[in-house]
Amino acid sequence: MKKMLLIGLNELLLLSKDRMAIVWMLIAPLGLTFIACLVFGGPGSTSEAVVMDLPLVDHDGGEMAAAVLDVLSQAGNLCVETGYDEETARRLVEDGERAGAVIVPTGFSEAIRSRQPTSLELVVVPSGQTAPLLEGMVRGVTGGFANVQTVVEVAVGEARRAAGSHSPDYADEYIRKETIERAVATALERLHHPLVATRVTVVGADDEREFDAGSQIVPGYAVMFAMFTVLSAAGGILEEKERGTFKRLLISPLPKWALLGGKLVAQFLVGVAQIALLFVFGVLVFHLDLGDSPLGLLLITLATCWATTSLGVLLVAVIRSRRQIHPITTLVILGSSALGGSWYPLFLMPKVVQQVARITLVSWAMEGYNRLMIMGGSLADVWVNIGVLILYGATCFAIGLKLFRFKET
Amino acid sequence: MALVKVENLTKTYGEVHAVAGVSFEIREGEIFGLLGPNGAGKTTTIHVLCTYTEPTGGNVTVAGCSVTAEAETVKRAIGVVPQEIALYADLNAVENMRFFGRVYDVPEARLRQRIGELLQLVGLTEHAHKRVEHYSGGMKRRLNLAVGLLSEPRFLMLDEPTVGVDPQSRNAIFENIQALNRQGLTVLYTTHYMEEAQLLCDRVAIMDEGRIIALDTPQNLVQTLGTGLIRIGVKDGVSEEMLARLRALPRVHAVTRHDDSLAFETVDAQRALLDIIALFNEMDTPMTSLHILEPNLESVFIQLTGKQLRD
Repeated sequence: MKKMLLIGLNELLLLSKDRMAIVWMLIAPLGLTFIACLVFGGPGSTSEAVVMDLPLVDHDGGEMAAAVLDVLSQAGNLCVETGYDEETARRLVEDGERAGAVIVPTGFSEAIRSRQPTSLELVVVPSGQTAPLLEGMVRGVTGGFANVQTVVEVAVGEARRAAGSHSPDYADEYIRKETIERAVATALERLHHPLVATRVTVVGADDEREFDAGSQIVPGYAVMFAMFTVLSAAGGILEEKERGTFKRLLISPLPKWALLGGKLVAQFLVGVAQIALLFVFGVLVFHLDLGDSPLGLLLITLATCWATTSLGVLLVAVIRSRRQIHPITTLVILGSSALGGSWYPLFLMPKVVQQVARITLVSWAMEGYNRLMIMGGSLADVWVNIGVLILYGATCFAIGLKLFRFKET
Repeated sequence: MALVKVENLTKTYGEVHAVAGVSFEIREGEIFGLLGPNGAGKTTTIHVLCTYTEPTGGNVTVAGCSVTAEAETVKRAIGVVPQEIALYADLNAVENMRFFGRVYDVPEARLRQRIGELLQLVGLTEHAHKRVEHYSGGMKRRLNLAVGLLSEPRFLMLDEPTVGVDPQSRNAIFENIQALNRQGLTVLYTTHYMEEAQLLCDRVAIMDEGRIIALDTPQNLVQTLGTGLIRIGVKDGVSEEMLARLRALPRVHAVTRHDDSLAFETVDAQRALLDIIALFNEMDTPMTSLHILEPNLESVFIQLTGKQLRD
C-alpha cells in the first residue's frame, strides 16, 4: 500500500509541475457544462426529435388551457393526449407508460386574464432520465405561450381598452402611439415576470420535489469528464512506457498491483476533484440542488471515479501504442456517455439500446445521480448503483492487471 | 567466483532470434563488456538479466538467484542504467532520485546521504534542483547513471550509457564506472564503441546476430590479429588456389574470406601487404578496395564478421 501511495504521490507531483494542464483540466469541464446548461437549461429550449406521448389533464376548461393544448400540440416531438383524468395520468407516469403528464389547474385562464401568477404542473417519470428533457420542452412551449402569447394578448387588450372597442376587427384603427408604448411596456414586464410558470414534480419518490435541467446536465457532464480520466490513465502509462521510466519501475522491486494502482490513485483523485468542482460550480452558478444525501453523492462519485480509472487500466492493457489511444478511448468515452445517458435521457432510445446501455458504467452512475439529485433519494436508493460501479471497477482492474504486459514475452 | 551465469540463453520474437544460445559468466568485481553492432542482442541479454524480459530458453542466475524464479531477489541485487533517459523530465534531480530511492526502499536518512554522494559523484550537485528537461544530454546520462546506483547494487548493468553524450560527460561516466568498480561493484557494460570496451572492460564478449563470436580480455582478442589487419575488397571473389597461396605467404598469419572481401591477419602488415599485392598482380586479380587496420577490437570484429561495428 505504501508503494502504491508513493507512485500516486509522484503522479500528483508530476501533475503539479504542469500548471497550465491543471488549469485546462478544470476549465474544460466547467466551460462545457456552463454552455450546456445555458443551451439546454434555459427557457424556451426544445431540441429533441423523438415524439413522446404526453397526457394533458385540463381542470380549467378555459381558452388559455385550450391555448396550452394548442401550443403543445404544435410541438413536433409531443403527441398530446387529452381525455385522461388526473389520477390516470399520474398513474401512467408512475407506471412508466408515459414519460410525463401536464396538469392544467382550475382557474388557469382566469388567473391569466386577471394577471395573477399561475403555473402548469409537469409530472415526470421517477427514473429521472426523462425529466430534464420534458421540462425543457414544456417550459419552452408554455414559456413561449406565457411570454409571447400573453404579451400579445395583453398588448392587444390594452389597445382595445384604450380604444374603447371590444372588436378586434376595429382595434387597429383606434390604437394610438401612447397606447402601443404602454402595451410594449406591459409586454416587457411580462417577459421578465411571466404569468405562467412550469412547476415540475416527480412522482414515485418519497416526496414530490421540484428540479431544474442542471440536475441532469451537471452530473451528466461530470460523469463524462470523469470518463476522460480513462484517457489520462491510459495515456500516462503509455507515455511512461515510451520514455523509459515505466521500464525502470518494472525492473524495481514494486508489486505489479502497486504500480498500476498508484497510477490509478492519482487519476482517481483528479476525477473526484473534477466532479466536486463541477458540483460546486453548479450550486454557485445554477443553484443546483444536490439532493438530500451528501454521503450518497460522495459515495456514488467515488465509485464512479474508481470505475472510470479502472477502465483506463483495462484499456492500457490492451492498447499497444499512443497512436491507438485516442481513437479507442474517444470511442469508449463518447460512446459510453451518449449511450449511458450523459447527454440524453436514456428513455429517448429504443428499448434494446436502453438495455445495452446497462453495460456502460455511465448509465449506472447517471441513474445514481438522478436518484439522489432529482428524486431526492437517500443512500439506500443508490446502494445498487454504488455496488455495481465498485464491482465494475474491480473487474476492470483485475482484468487489466491480468492482461497488462509487465514483462516482454 | 561468478556473480552472473548465463547458460545457453535464447530469446525469440516470432521468427526472429534476438539471442541464439548465449553463454558467459561475469566474475565478481570485474567489468564485463558486451560489444556488438545494433541488433546484435546486447540489450535483449540485459533485459533478461534485469528480469524485464522473459527468456525463451536457457538458465540465467544473478548472485545465485534465477532471474525467472527469484526475480524479486534479483531486482534487489541489481542496478540498471537503461539505454533510454529513464527520468521524469518535469522533476529535478533530487525529486527523481528521492522517488526512485523510495521505490527501492532506501531508508530516508540513507537516501538523503546517498543522493548527496551520487550527485557529487556524477558532478551534478550544482544542478540538483534544476528540472531535468533543462539538462544537457550528458547531464541526463550522468543522472541516469546516478539513479541506477541509488540502491547500492552489487551488480550494475549499463546499456549503451554514452550514446549521444559529449566527450567530457563520456569521460566523466568512464571515471565514475572505474571508481565504482574499484570499490567492488561488478559491472556489465554494453556498447558498440570498441574504444569504450577496450578502455573499460576486463573481459569482452563480442556479439553478432544473437551469438557470442569471441570472448576474452581485450588484449588477448587484439593479439589474435598479430600486428595488423589488412582488408582487401574483391569483386568476384578469389579462387581456392589463390586463397591457398595467400595463406602460405610468410608474414600472413590467417586469411578469412567474406562475401566481397578478404581479411588478413598479419605479423608485419606493411611487408605482408607488398607480398599480397604481388600475388594479386601475378594472379591478375583486381582489388576494389584496400584498408590497413590497426589492431583493436573493431578490427577483431571486422575480422570475425567482415562487417563494421557501426553500420
